[in-house]
Amino acid sequence: MAIDELLAQFHEIATSPRKQLDKYLAQGKKVVACAPVYTPEEIIHSMGLVPMGVWGAEMEVNEAKKYYPAFICSIMQVVLELGVTGQYKGVSAIVIPSLCDSLKSLGQNWKYAVPDIPFIPMTYPQNRKPAYGVKYTKAMYERVISDLQTATGAQFSGVALANSNRVYNEHNAVMREFAEVAADHAITAAQRNDVFKSAWFMLKEEHTALVKQLIEEMKKTPKDESKVRVVVSGILADSPNLLQIFDKNGLKIVADDVAQESRQYRTDVPDMENSLDALAQKFADMDNCTLLYDRDKKRVGYIVDQAKKHNAVGVIVLMTKFCDPEEFDYVPIKRACEAAGLRHLNIEVDCQMVNYEQAGTMIQAFKEMA
Amino acid sequence: MGEEVKKKRRAPDPNSAKYKLGQIAAKAYSDCVEAKARGEKIGWCASNFPVEIPETLGLHVCYPENQAAAIAARGGGERMCSESEGDGYSNDICAYARISLAYMKLKKAPEQDMPQPDFVLCCNNICNCMIKWYENIAKELDIPMIMIDIPFNPDYEVSDAEVEYIEAQFWDAIHQLEDITGKKWSDERFKEVKEISGRSSRAWLKATACAKYVPSPFNGFDLLNHMAVMVTARGKAEAAEAMETLLKEYEENHKTGKSTFRTDEKYRIMFEGIACWPWLRATSTGLKSRGINMVTTIYADAFGFIYDDFKGMCRAYARVPNAMNLELSRDKRIKLCKDNHVEGLLVHTNRSCKLWSGFMAEMSKQIGQACGIPVVSFDGDQADPRNFSEAQYDTRVQGLMEIMEANKEGH
Ligand code: SF4
Ligand code: SF4
Repeated sequence: MAIDELLAQFHEIATSPRKQLDKYLAQGKKVVACAPVYTPEEIIHSMGLVPMGVWGAEMEVNEAKKYYPAFICSIMQVVLELGVTGQYKGVSAIVIPSLCDSLKSLGQNWKYAVPDIPFIPMTYPQNRKPAYGVKYTKAMYERVISDLQTATGAQFSGVALANSNRVYNEHNAVMREFAEVAADHAITAAQRNDVFKSAWFMLKEEHTALVKQLIEEMKKTPKDESKVRVVVSGILADSPNLLQIFDKNGLKIVADDVAQESRQYRTDVPDMENSLDALAQKFADMDNCTLLYDRDKKRVGYIVDQAKKHNAVGVIVLMTKFCDPEEFDYVPIKRACEAAGLRHLNIEVDCQMVNYEQAGTMIQAFKEMA
Repeated sequence: MGEEVKKKRRAPDPNSAKYKLGQIAAKAYSDCVEAKARGEKIGWCASNFPVEIPETLGLHVCYPENQAAAIAARGGGERMCSESEGDGYSNDICAYARISLAYMKLKKAPEQDMPQPDFVLCCNNICNCMIKWYENIAKELDIPMIMIDIPFNPDYEVSDAEVEYIEAQFWDAIHQLEDITGKKWSDERFKEVKEISGRSSRAWLKATACAKYVPSPFNGFDLLNHMAVMVTARGKAEAAEAMETLLKEYEENHKTGKSTFRTDEKYRIMFEGIACWPWLRATSTGLKSRGINMVTTIYADAFGFIYDDFKGMCRAYARVPNAMNLELSRDKRIKLCKDNHVEGLLVHTNRSCKLWSGFMAEMSKQIGQACGIPVVSFDGDQADPRNFSEAQYDTRVQGLMEIMEANKEGH
């Protein structure tokens, strides 16, 4: 397939999750929704279920207001809104982790707002690295397994999980490679996002195959060296209107620290005898994320390193409004960028954003900064 | 926490619970200052961190949430919040954290000073905001951070897996602190602290349960002040003694027909949420002027730290407010409403506290239904004065009163 055709396909999938859901349901598969930011997708996949990400959408919120006050991030508001209004009909269950305070309350509201889609909690430990933390992660995985069995009737097997772990590791590697190829070859910010976003609505083996083709084709194209190179950080970077401004200003995303994008693919499941132990160890090995306890703020150094490694001029933080964990990290990120001589910019975003004028002006000023 | 509702009254009786409790709260700060001056390492500690650990080890700690409340109650909230915002912290972040981060930088506040920390003790059983806040302090000051993770529990009961995880972390924290400070854990001393903490808790539970009497022998705003001692000092003998005095006073008030609610008690409500410290007088007067006594809050139940052993302590810390699921949170409140003859629920939708406010709408609706009482909410903030409107508060409280009045007539 030609690049354009492939990109059109990614775009189609990224923008029509409902169609994907219906497609899997029509195949007789059961689908499990996965709330941000991390869930044990490998387990869901291994049980023959289709994990699909739910990260909100650009829309107005009405029904969710009965549950959430206005100062909860729009991702939580929209996920709840879509649930209440029946947009997830057909989904067998939703797995919600409690990684931030707003996610904790999503699960509680969900039970009453969307009673026909069972809520499966995934409790991750913050002290995830010591042996007792890994043990706790495993116990919580076991709880998810048992809840999934109840909700879907599907069965769990360690052998199947070992296979899914491999499928996910391969997908991770492909996504990491894609991010590198996209840093040096022509692709718009919106197209880059389509590739990442579509991953949430497809079985990973299908997505891997498609991304591999894209990488092959992109490698044949000449290097794209004329752009202003930037690193983007945040929870989401998927607003088409916003991404357009990047392209209009000749900004190229050469690496990202976006929760919905590369943060998902940095860590592989290690090779261990017991596949569930291995998956618990994966969580222990994860780092550089605002939602994972990080006394040393390694994430900050990681972002700066990414910028240097990719010859970026600076870091653009897309701050999800009301996302307090990310707001805490912004100050150290800003300071580290200043110390490293990198430009930095903080743009507030949310799913109800309609006016991009200010963002446009800021990005233009960022570009012109010497 | 911090400021008394009514200042500049006649000189307090040194044998009164109020005086004793005030002294304990003040002494916590001066003890820290003195320890620091002696060259001891002192800590900043999260409000629901297991106090038994520093107490048993003989460490002096102070409480940033307590300090932020005091600063806010004495009028410094906006100044300190703006300071942090100037550094790039969003005004969306919990105001306690904003005040604390500003204090870390400025190192002084006329409203309430405390010494700078040599380590921080973090526990996220009240919120994950705490983790980010303490990470930033630890990184900025380059000091050790002890992190005890007590996850939000989606279930009604605390699982064995969770207790095991918490227990391992408690020991880990103890060993880290032994290394940092050179102090040693003693099982014997822990037993004493456990017993004192149990004594304080029992007295607190009984004192707050005196709201079962009609009229109540106390004004519920008392609890907001006295709970600071329960949070920070319940493992100290003076605290147990002061709580027992409080209980005695409330029982005595009941017998003699007195109350610290110094007007006719026409209505009885439960108050939900943290106090609006910058607007304490306004929020209290808005109720009192209408004869509404806030007889109970979840704090009445929150400090039942009565347990038999180390494991029991771990379990108790997993059952603090904000770590409980909706159903358990709801049922505890329903019990308080029923036990204390509550006629209405006033909910503080706290701009600072995403977790406390995040499922409050659904939960308070269920409480209202179960108890057959009206529920009214108002917008506020526990420490940033800019997020509260007196006019809105007044209208909402008036509305609540009118429904309670109509309910009385209907009966
Ligand atoms: S955007 Fe931030 S606040 Fe919202 S769910 Fe994600 S991490 Fe939590
Ligand atoms: S007010 Fe809420 S967010 Fe702030 S420290 Fe307390 S529990 Fe955490």
